[in-house]
This record gives sequence, C-alpha cells and structure tokens, in this order.
Amino acid sequence: MPARSLRAHLLRMLLPPIAALLVLGALVAYYPSIEPATTAYDQGLIDAGISLGTYIRTSERGYRLELPTAVDQVLRRDSYDSVYYRVLGPDGEPIAGDDGLPGPPPDRDARDGFVSYDTAYKGQKVRAVAVPAKCGTAPCSVVVAETTVKRRRMARDILFSSLLPEILIAFATLVIVWFGVKRGLGPLARLSDEIKARSPGDLRPIAAADTPEETRPLVSALNGLLEEVAQASHNQQRFLANAAHQLRTPLAGLQAHTELALAKSLPREVRSELEQVHEATIRTARLANQLLALARAEPGARANATELNLKTLAESEADAWVHQALARDVDLGFELEWAPVQGDAFLLREALANLVHNALEYSQAGGRVTVRTGRKGTQSFLEVEDDGPGIPPAERERVLERFYRVPGTPGTGSGLGLAIVREIAAGHGASISITDAMGGSSATRGCRVAITFPHG
Amino acid sequence: MRLLIVEDDAPLASGLRRILEAEGHAVDVTSRGEQAVLAAAQERFDLVILDIGLPQMDGFEVLRRLRAAERPMPVLVLTARDAVDDRVRGLDLGADDYMVKPFAMPELTARVRALLRRSQAHGGPRIVHGPLALDTVARRAFLKNEPLELAAREWAVLEVLLGKVEKIVSKEAIIQAVAGWGDDLSPNAIEVYVSRLRSKLEPAGIKIRTVRGFGYMLEEYKGP
Repeated sequence: MPARSLRAHLLRMLLPPIAALLVLGALVAYYPSIEPATTAYDQGLIDAGISLGTYIRTSERGYRLELPTAVDQVLRRDSYDSVYYRVLGPDGEPIAGDDGLPGPPPDRDARDGFVSYDTAYKGQKVRAVAVPAKCGTAPCSVVVAETTVKRRRMARDILFSSLLPEILIAFATLVIVWFGVKRGLGPLARLSDEIKARSPGDLRPIAAADTPEETRPLVSALNGLLEEVAQASHNQQRFLANAAHQLRTPLAGLQAHTELALAKSLPREVRSELEQVHEATIRTARLANQLLALARAEPGARANATELNLKTLAESEADAWVHQALARDVDLGFELEWAPVQGDAFLLREALANLVHNALEYSQAGGRVTVRTGRKGTQSFLEVEDDGPGIPPAERERVLERFYRVPGTPGTGSGLGLAIVREIAAGHGASISITDAMGGSSATRGCRVAITFPHG
Repeated sequence: MRLLIVEDDAPLASGLRRILEAEGHAVDVTSRGEQAVLAAAQERFDLVILDIGLPQMDGFEVLRRLRAAERPMPVLVLTARDAVDDRVRGLDLGADDYMVKPFAMPELTARVRALLRRSQAHGGPRIVHGPLALDTVARRAFLKNEPLELAAREWAVLEVLLGKVEKIVSKEAIIQAVAGWGDDLSPNAIEVYVSRLRSKLEPAGIKIRTVRGFGYMLEEYKGP
C-alpha cells in the first residue's frame, strides 16, 4: 500500500466542494446580471417596434407600411446582429416586412402589451418582441427580431467576469492548502527529526512543552511507548543480572569443590574424570558469561553509552589477561594510545576480553599477542593480533556467526566469542575486520581482529 | 589470620571455607548480612569476604556498615552480577577488591594473600615478600636475612612493585612514583632500574615480569 499523502488527501477532500462553490458562485453572479441586460436589449427591440408602428398608413386598398429607406437602414443597421421585422394587420395578415418571421407563441402573456420570446428564423436563433400598433383604429402588431450574437457575447462576458475571480480564489485556496499543509506539518517534521537524531538507547520522554497542541496526543502516545520500552529494557537488564547471579553462584561452588577435590591425592581414573568435570565447569561458566553478554549486546538492551577511552579500558583489564597469558606462556604486549569512543564500558570490555581470550587460546606456547588501541585519522580503533595459525580468508565471514567454529580447530570454544564481538561492534556502529597479522610468516599467518569506531 | 565469609550459597561457602582453612586461616561463615555486621562489631577479622547478592540486608548495605566502623576491616567483594555500576559502587563504598563469580581458587587465594599482606603492611614498617624484607623506617632491605644494597631509585621502584604484587604497574605509574625526586625520568631509565633489581632478586626466586608495552608485575613468590 503506498504511503498516503496528507496533502493529496486534503486536496481530494477540498476539490469537490470548491468546484461546487465555483459553479454556484458563477450562477449566483450570472443570473442577476443577465436579466437586466436582456431587458435592456429587449427594450431596444420594443423601441424599434413602436417606431415602426408609427409608419402604418391606412388607405381604401387596406393597410401598408410607408417606411422611408433611410429609416429602414437605420433600423436594420447593427454591427453584430441581423434585424428582422414584420407588420401584421388586425386579423393577423402580413402587411409588410420579412415573411415567415414567427409571431409570439399563443400561450405567452403580454407584459405592458409587449411579448418577448425566443424563436428561430432563417435557421438562426432569434430574440423577438411583439409590439401592439394601430392600423387606423384597429389594433394590429409589429414583430421585431434580431439574431443573438451580441446577447451571447454579453452572456459570455458576464459569465467570464464572474468566473475569473472565483477561479483565481479557488486556485489560491489550493496553493495555500498545498504549502499550508507543509508548513502546518512542520512541527511533526521537527518531531521526527528529533526522534531520528536520538541514540537507540535514549528512551527519555520527548519534551511536550515546545510542541504544538495538535501534536500533544502523538507526543504523549510516543512517550507512553518509550516508557514501556524503557521499562521492558529495565526489566530485561534486571532479569539478566538475576540470571547471572543464579547461574554463577552455583558454578562458583562447583568450581571450588572440584578444585578442592583435585588438590587431594586421588586414584588416577578419578583424577582424570574430575579434571574433565573441572574443565566443563569452567567452560560452562564462560558460556554463561557469553550468553549473558550476547543478550545484553542485543539492540534495545544498551543504554549505558558514555565517553570512554579504549586505552584506559584495556589497561584496566590487563591484569586479568596477563595471568592467562602467563599460564599459557604467551608474551602478551600492549601498544596503547589515546582512543576516545562513545560506548558501553561493560560491552566494550567484554568485546576486548573475547578477542584477547581467542588470541591467547589459539597461540602456541612462546607466541606473541598484542593489544592495540589508538586513532587512525578521526576514528578510534582497538585491535588484537596474534601469531597463531590465523583464519583462512574463506572463513572470515563465517567465524562471526554464532556457534560457528572453523572445522578442525582444536580446543573447546563455544563459537560465540566473535559473534559477541560482532554484535557489540554493530551496537556501537563500529566495523570489524579480520586480516593476517602484520609481518606474519607463511607458516603461521597470524590473525588480527580490528574494531574501528565511527568518526567522532 | 581470622577471616569472615559472608555468603548465602552453602556449597560455595563451604568450599571457600575449606580452601582458606587449608591456607592456614581461621574462618567463620555466615549467610546473613545482619549477622556479619554483628560479628564484625564484636570481633576483629583480618579480612571479610562478602557476597553482594545476600537475602534481606544485601552486600552493599553490609559493606556500608562495615566501612562506618571505627577500625574498618579489609573487604573482598564477591559478585555474580556483571553490571559495571555494581563494580563501581562496590569500590566507591570502599571494597578493597572484588571478584566476579565464578573464579578459580588459586586466584582467590592469591587475592586474599595480597589483601592480608597489604593490611599487615599498612602502618607496619616491614614489607615481606618471600625471602625479601624491607624495613621502610630504617630504609634497609634484607634478602634471605642478608643485607641487600639498593640504590635510592631501585628502592623506590621496588616499593611500588611490592605494593601491587601480581598486578601490572605501568611504567608511567612507576615514573610518577619515583619522579618526586626532582629530575625527569625516561621510560628507559626505569628499564635500567628494573634490570638491576632483577639481577639482585632473581637468584632468590623473586621474579619481575615485563608486560610488553605496558609495565611490570612482581610475581607472587613461589619458592626459589
């Protein structure tokens, strides 16, 4: 379904009434002005008829019209129309004039003795008047008619002069509606700009004070929704915190007792079983942490963005990693430069921890892992590089998927680490790239995972 | 040493108790925050291990009350929650260290040792690290009970490292601690002092680990 334009809708609603008003306005203006004009033209015909009547003469041979040629010319001269006349005797017999000019319709009443009517003559529409005259002492009549060219022209002029302003007004109305809607919707456009400019985690209500009254219901509905989303997000966070607690405490107990048992002298088979329990415990704990991190990294669950420096973040976590590195005999090094970002400290720490964990996990004893932070141009980055076996180019997309592990990979990873990193990077608008390590040999290509944050 | 464990999860509490008893400590356990506050008011513990997620009076409240005491005891906070502000709140309220559950027991015992050492050293004139002993008042060092010659700056660097055993101390932090002495110090100069310290201490089994690009870490003494 195409988006419905409020403007088009308004115009569609306005057009029929405007058109009707236009027609009505034209009619209202037309008829009152056509009537006096018609009467005035008719009066001209009546005058001609009366003056024609004065030229009727009576003789013993009957009645005749003694019309001087000059008068006839004056009578018939008209710039637009042809003028016809006919004189009828007391019994309706033609005395003079144009033969066949129709008389008044019999049902038409005379007004002041005159009858005006529309008829046709010589194939043209004509306007005619019948004027009473005297043939001696007997009443007779004169009919005068003219074609309707100037009348039609006049009617057209009247119609045009009354319609033109109406059309202009209607057009102006449509233009005003067109631009008025845009202007009137300005507050809505500003509102949508404000919402668009928000960070996804910003669930504060929209300030209703500076919005027009008409948009208040919308703003208040939006605020209601925002509040619900914020509440849901808050509930989710609380659920995650509780879930973390519920999962981690028994795991800590399990780990403690397993380690206690392992510290005792045990039969070889029992020790071997117990070591597997211990390893599974640690893996489960890590998996629980990762799932929680993944859940927290999901859109809508991050509302803790602050100004951070990746350098400080890496420094604060270095202690924990150094001990892991020592246990694996890996040389963990740092090249940390100032790298400011807008981000969620917990999630970024988690991303960095996953990258370092992977690098340590896949490094050989005696290998090197380097953590870097800094800026390239205006973009902050963090990257972790190792000199392990690396990731073949064909697998680099897939390793970012959840639970995917490169076939043949040793170790017991869940395949979640890089998926979490990708999720967290995406949540920060950052891009992630996997390349060979700098200066990696062909034997061990090494791996470098870099997260580059948006300009800022 | 006397330790108090405040943890409501019985299996974890008993595990912690047995591990710390095996380290030679006297350990009391309670599962209730109110009881922990009472016990701490009556008796002196060298360290309190405090779970944040307690029923009723939670760990934050217990921590606040312990801090309000006349002679605050060192507190190691255990938390199962990973929210950043939990960590900040814990440390703001005066926890000396925190660990997120679950944790490896060797890490826990190392942290406990570090905290106990720090609280012993605090106010005490003697810092002991394996066979190394520093008399901070007389400014004399002993290795295996033999006097150890240390230059003033070597002493300063060693003192910084001893204050944070098993933790990385950045070169910048070392420079800041040592440069109170007037002139500027380059990171290279620090390397020189550390290498001199190493040649004096490593034969006795005391290791200073280099963390490439960052700083140094005095490892826990694990025997010669």
